[in-house]
Amino acid sequence: MNGLIKHLKLLAKMNWPLTLATAALTTLGVLFIYSACYVSEDRPVRMLYVQQIRWALAGLGAFLVLAVFDYRRWLRHAVWLYGLALFLLVFVLFFGVEIYGAKRWIRIFGDAGIQPAEFAKIAVVSFLAFWLGRPGEDTGGWKAVLTTLGLVAAPMALVFKQPDMGTALIFLPVAFVMMFVAGVRWRILATIVGVGILATGLLLGALFLPERLGPAQAPVENTLRLAGVRDYHRERIVGFIHADKDPMGAGWNKIQSRIAIGSGGTWGKGYLNGTQNLLGYLPRTVAPTDFIFSVIAEETGFAGSVATLFLFATVVAAGLWTALAADDKQGQLLCSGLVALLFCHVSVNVAMTVGLIPITGLPLPFLSYGGSFMVATLAAMGMIQSVRIRSRKDNVFEVV
Amino acid sequence: MVTNDSRISHQGRLRLTLAAMLGFFFFLAAVLWSVQMRDASEYESHLNRQSVRRVRLPAPRGRILDRYGRCLADNRPGYGIAIYVEELRQPGRISRTVDHVGLVVDRLAESLNLEREITEEDIREHVVRNRPLPLLAWRDIGEDTLARLAESSVTFPGAQERIPGVDVTVESIRVYPEGRLAAHVLGHVGRADPDLHAEDVYHYYIPAVEGRDGVERVRNEALQGQPGGYLVRVDASGFKHMEMGRRDPLPGEDVALALDARIQRAAESVLEGVTGAVVVLDPRNGDVLAMASRPTFDPNAFSMGIARQDWNLLIKDKSRPLVNRAASGIYPPGSIFKMVVAIAALENRRSSPDMVFDCSGVYHVGDHPFLCWRKSGHGWINLRKALEQSCNVYFYQLGLMCGYERIYRMADAMGIGRRTGLDLPGESVGLLPNDAWKRRIVRDAWRPGDTCNVSIGQGALAVTPLQMAVMTAAIANGGRVYRPRSVLGSDLDPAHIIETQGGLGVRPGEALADLRWSAETLTAVQGGMLDVIHAPNGTGQRARVEGVRMAGKTGTAQYKRDGDDLRHAWMAAYAPFENPRIAAVLVVENSPGGGGLIAAPRMRTLMAVALGMEDDQAGKTVL
Repeated sequence: MNGLIKHLKLLAKMNWPLTLATAALTTLGVLFIYSACYVSEDRPVRMLYVQQIRWALAGLGAFLVLAVFDYRRWLRHAVWLYGLALFLLVFVLFFGVEIYGAKRWIRIFGDAGIQPAEFAKIAVVSFLAFWLGRPGEDTGGWKAVLTTLGLVAAPMALVFKQPDMGTALIFLPVAFVMMFVAGVRWRILATIVGVGILATGLLLGALFLPERLGPAQAPVENTLRLAGVRDYHRERIVGFIHADKDPMGAGWNKIQSRIAIGSGGTWGKGYLNGTQNLLGYLPRTVAPTDFIFSVIAEETGFAGSVATLFLFATVVAAGLWTALAADDKQGQLLCSGLVALLFCHVSVNVAMTVGLIPITGLPLPFLSYGGSFMVATLAAMGMIQSVRIRSRKDNVFEVV
Repeated sequence: MVTNDSRISHQGRLRLTLAAMLGFFFFLAAVLWSVQMRDASEYESHLNRQSVRRVRLPAPRGRILDRYGRCLADNRPGYGIAIYVEELRQPGRISRTVDHVGLVVDRLAESLNLEREITEEDIREHVVRNRPLPLLAWRDIGEDTLARLAESSVTFPGAQERIPGVDVTVESIRVYPEGRLAAHVLGHVGRADPDLHAEDVYHYYIPAVEGRDGVERVRNEALQGQPGGYLVRVDASGFKHMEMGRRDPLPGEDVALALDARIQRAAESVLEGVTGAVVVLDPRNGDVLAMASRPTFDPNAFSMGIARQDWNLLIKDKSRPLVNRAASGIYPPGSIFKMVVAIAALENRRSSPDMVFDCSGVYHVGDHPFLCWRKSGHGWINLRKALEQSCNVYFYQLGLMCGYERIYRMADAMGIGRRTGLDLPGESVGLLPNDAWKRRIVRDAWRPGDTCNVSIGQGALAVTPLQMAVMTAAIANGGRVYRPRSVLGSDLDPAHIIETQGGLGVRPGEALADLRWSAETLTAVQGGMLDVIHAPNGTGQRARVEGVRMAGKTGTAQYKRDGDDLRHAWMAAYAPFENPRIAAVLVVENSPGGGGLIAAPRMRTLMAVALGMEDDQAGKTVL
């Protein structure tokens, strides 16, 4: 009984804007998953929102437990978590359930399953926070950079193997943000960015130049294969660039998503009235998951989509404020890493749905349907709150 | 507050991170602004382009009325059973939906005791080509079937729920309440093909009919009205999602004919059992009061789209029931052409009414004998008597005396050998031969023998009954050649038509020529025609109607076909003699007797009705 009261007192100290924005976004997610699916012919699809409520409740549990649990103890064991994540990522390659040609799921019982990659993201962030934030560790030089990249490379490679390029790539900006916050020198960071741009350029060049220059050359093809570029990656990128040339094929989702968002106008078509979604032009398979933002933007218009972005901005701002107010570097790194993770998902997903970047298959936190991701995201919020709760600086604004 | 604690990393970097992230969100918001605010209408129209379909709704056709407002063509509701495919959609492949619709059709057929009208192939075709439209499983079902459908709920065996997506529809079906009456004037309808060059292009067309012949064809534009339409929003699979907007069609205008149904009925009745044609004109303006052709057809057979075998039967029929013989049939005119010769000779002063010729029964041109129908001859007779007795020898000599060129010019002026300009389709030209024609076709010069032949309406001369009617009307009215008119107009107030005692009255006609024949000419020719009917031995005495002075001329045109000598019986007449308002021509093909015997009695019946002396045969009052 005492323990419960103690825990409640601890919870009262958490960052309430973050919690409220999280709650609002999760509620919106359930509402719009219902909207995206209620006309479906399949009963299981129609009932997806109930499933999402279950996942949200599970996520709430994880949120509360992790908020109360001291993040410093958590981080001390992060190496085991990192190891478990790697193990699960290897496990899924051998025993995972194959859906749409990718092995991402581990079946637990019945149809329920988990996606190890979602937990791996948190595990990697936790371990990086622990490692880079160790007292006395020099985090300004190449050593920190190479260690970080090494720690990230293993899970990335395994996720890439599933294959899930979108999730694999997300590790890079998250690691970059954490290195930046940890204090890696500007010149080194600039070098990393330069190399990154060069590599991207070479990859795109290899993808498209052969087409322009004539028959594809075997060495280039081999290089691409070695680099892990598969035909469907190529298709997606080509589909993005040439969407208007093949509107029924690879570019369909991009075009339809953009039409959904654009036709929403200022105030939207009203809840449950998204034409693109109702008529199935926005494919029902992706509307509740990767393209939930299109549904929201179509039904609530510019007002709703900007309000949604504002909620995400609140989460990001609250998370980074928490980092500013954190007692130690590990807490800071944990918060900024988790916020970076969330920010990358939001940015990539929204940019994808409005057609700025190719379709990557990254879900939108709190809103997209998906169990593992939901639980992982809420758990991450719990960890941020744990940092906040342990902070001795009561007033965030003191540090700003 | 700046801390020097080495465990704490750079606060500035955190703030920078926050600023960068919020900045990127701001950028995303700006992109959303451009998509949702600036370009919203573009995406909206894109959405509509891909999901909105225009469906054309035909308008109910206007009616066709006779000059007194009697209805000759109308519409009736045809009830059908429609299947709304989108409500029967099955998940998965489209063929599953097709199969399911097939099952529903089977089940309906079983429950309602109907024969299946559509095949699996029809269903597939519909689902492929007209997916957002209802599928018409049965058209024009009877009232009992309709009642059965309303009472019983059709279910699948063992199921409680009514099969969804089945409903009754109504379509407008063309109906001709008088059946075959005036079929050749009215024409018929046929399934309209979408006009792909029209300004309004629709995605889908509800089946419509269009006029294919007769008034239905020439007045199709007025009759068909303005089509309406509705918009359907379709889903990504092309099924109907909802109806969005509707513009009701504007019904077609009623079209009033010059026809008098009472006279028309009499015209049709006198052709009962024979092949031939009747044309009745108003000599005061060219109004077509009746136009009949036998054999005929039932235009109602076309209203639902005629079956292929029925169509083949109609077009392969040797008697050609679809041809309007009154305007399209060409015949040698025989003796009714003699008036043209008489007028040509008199007007050109090549002869006079008192001119007498001797008829011995035969007239020789060179070595060739030209016969009179009366072997014993008519002796010395003048023009009036020659007309009364239809003496051939008189007209051989009159024709030769007049000269063919003058006969040709007069016939041409009276509209023979050219289209009369009737406002119905399919009119024939006929043939008015001359030297140029003969040189071109026969490669021989025009000879006096040719003049003799044409002078009695034989030889190469070929006319339509309508041309003869126009000629008769011109003789009756003193030389005005009217363009025959079957349609008086559309958009006439039917109430007005009925209320006015004289129907649409005598509206001015379009005179193509006013030949202004002299009184002397008219007295002679009209007098001769009066005698044809009223003289004791007049060839047309069987056409006499008690109490009416009438002028006329009989004709018996001979021709050879397959070596057999055949003849057409003609009669042209107008009445009343002093103040003509009826001009009629009647022809009976392959007649067993001459004009006086076969055509005249029929003309009598026709004239009696047309002049209001007695009711039409059936004895029923029309109004």
